[in-house]
Amino acid sequence: MAILIDQDSQIILQGATGRQGRYHLPKLLDYGVRVVGGVSPGKGGQNVDDIPVYDTVAEVVTTKHVDATMIMIPPAGVLNAAVEAIDSRIPLIVIITEHVPLHDALVIRSLAEKAGLYVIGPNTVGVTSPGKCKLSVSPASIFSQGPVGVISRSGTLTHELASSLSYHDIGQSTCVCIGGDMSKTTNFIDVLKLFRDDQDTDIVVMIGEIGGAGEEIAARYIKESKYPKTVVAYIAGATAPSGKKMGHAGAIIKDDFGTADSKISHLKSAGVEVARGLDELLEFVKHRV
Amino acid sequence: MNLYEHEGKVLFAKIGIPVPRGIVVTSPEAVDEAAIEIGFPVVAKCQVLRGGRGKAGGIKFAANKTELDLFTAKLFGLSLGDERVQQLLIEERLSIDRELYAGITFDPKSALPVLMISVQGGVEIELVAAENPLALAKQILDPVQTYRPHQLMALAKQAGLTGPVMIKVAKVLEQLMACYFTYEAVTAEINPLVVLENGDIYAVDAKIEIDDSAVYRQQEIKALKRPDHVGHPLEREAQVAGVSYVRLNETGNIGLICGGAGLGMATMDAVYHHGGIPANFLDLGHATPAKTAAALEIVLKTPGVEGVFVNAYGGMNNCGEIGEGISKVVDALRPRQAIVVKMRGHSQEKGWAMMAERNIPVIKYGTTGEGIHLLMQELKDSMEAVRGNSN
Repeated sequence: MAILIDQDSQIILQGATGRQGRYHLPKLLDYGVRVVGGVSPGKGGQNVDDIPVYDTVAEVVTTKHVDATMIMIPPAGVLNAAVEAIDSRIPLIVIITEHVPLHDALVIRSLAEKAGLYVIGPNTVGVTSPGKCKLSVSPASIFSQGPVGVISRSGTLTHELASSLSYHDIGQSTCVCIGGDMSKTTNFIDVLKLFRDDQDTDIVVMIGEIGGAGEEIAARYIKESKYPKTVVAYIAGATAPSGKKMGHAGAIIKDDFGTADSKISHLKSAGVEVARGLDELLEFVKHRV
Repeated sequence: MNLYEHEGKVLFAKIGIPVPRGIVVTSPEAVDEAAIEIGFPVVAKCQVLRGGRGKAGGIKFAANKTELDLFTAKLFGLSLGDERVQQLLIEERLSIDRELYAGITFDPKSALPVLMISVQGGVEIELVAAENPLALAKQILDPVQTYRPHQLMALAKQAGLTGPVMIKVAKVLEQLMACYFTYEAVTAEINPLVVLENGDIYAVDAKIEIDDSAVYRQQEIKALKRPDHVGHPLEREAQVAGVSYVRLNETGNIGLICGGAGLGMATMDAVYHHGGIPANFLDLGHATPAKTAAALEIVLKTPGVEGVFVNAYGGMNNCGEIGEGISKVVDALRPRQAIVVKMRGHSQEKGWAMMAERNIPVIKYGTTGEGIHLLMQELKDSMEAVRGNSN
């Protein structure tokens, strides 16, 4: 088992014929991912890397079972692509695209929640269950299979941690990058719930950052649910100045809300050990597996 | 993108929210003419993007030309924060009975927009929320739901409003929502929303932030001009190059170039941890050789930078292209500053080889902390070498 995706997952790629799609589709196939179709309006009937391309998501799902979709198209088209996937009831929708307008992301979230589907992103590197399935743009070489579940807002920190863990022979069950934007449908708490019930996951690493309240809400859940697995965390940006946007749209401190201090104290009061940096985070995990 | 008060009021007026009559002027000479056209008494308001303008002396009332002339020279020279005042809004002075607050902002807890109304306006709404939460009526907004007038009236009533004012405020809330969703705002606040002695309602201020990712399709917002004095000059240069650069500390000695915002923040934390001070934050975003080169040039130009740390991943990006960008600048400028590069991922061998050719130390498998440690060591060694030479 793993969470969200495993070796049996059948996936489609929305934007398969675009520049990003063409670059990443072969990498998914190399990883052994069961890609059952690409979707690119107007390109239906073509093939890319021997994968059939369809005009719409609805056409794929009439003939094939689809567990997940990865959306890799420019920001202006993301709302339509995601709504199409929601209408076809695809259980997991991963939106890689960066700079998706906030109001589009809000509509996607509202519709996905009403339909009871998982949307990861926008602005994510995706989800990887090492050795099983990769619904991500992450380099495959940095992952290895093992007991650590990873949840991170940042793509590069997902990579940094996974590669450091793998280098020290510690594998991962599933690495979920929930995305760096202000609006996300799937947050820390949702992924924590999935890891709780996953037999392959013994320890969960949360990589948060300044801004938003996802970490505080997760901390409250860990405390109140008496979360049965070890959780360790790191909050990036403790030294960032207030009021400046630090690359991620979601990483901005306004007044005192969303500060690293607030997140760290909430997590600590829930019994979560919080590292002061990535090196210490690696040490925490090394001592607990 | 933050809007100036006068720009926000134009949007309000288009949606139908009543705003005072006003004229924007860009020189002291134009002030009198504007005031005469509007008619005394008037208010002169500095147009800056920061809040707390009133307390800082950026708003002045004038009953006649003599009073106005006294103020305007001063207002135009004024600096509020890092912004120099270049525009004034001259407005009619209204006979205000009460000050309310109405706003929609992005609620970090629910990560959804929240509509708020309070009878305590004209003060910082964060203070009202903290000290008297009952005085603030709130409604979390679902972007796919339509809100009917009776729901908005109920919210106004919950805030303590009654009678005709309650009905007029409900109308403004409806219009404010239209403004928020039409122009794709992150924040749209009216503080204060005033009730005049005759019972009419006006938006006396406008604080609007538009989602940066939506500006491309908001033609009216795209057309707005921005004076070039906002922000640090290197931040503007970075904006043109397409990288996200934030000037951090005047005393900073370590320049940072990171492939990704999260990694950038973690690197910043690690610099402090190892006794350095970051001079800047820089997120390469999607890194091409040209963008990487521009980023390195900007960081090398940052005053006080003694050492540069590049921390990147070949995920979306490609180490070969990042290496190409670094090589170009190093070959052309031969910088005196120490550079340490940590990168891995797609095309890592290619990128590493380019660094080796130029004697730039590379962290291949180690952590960010190890990279910063190495850079700090290089700085120490070069300082000792300088000291050795002078002896």
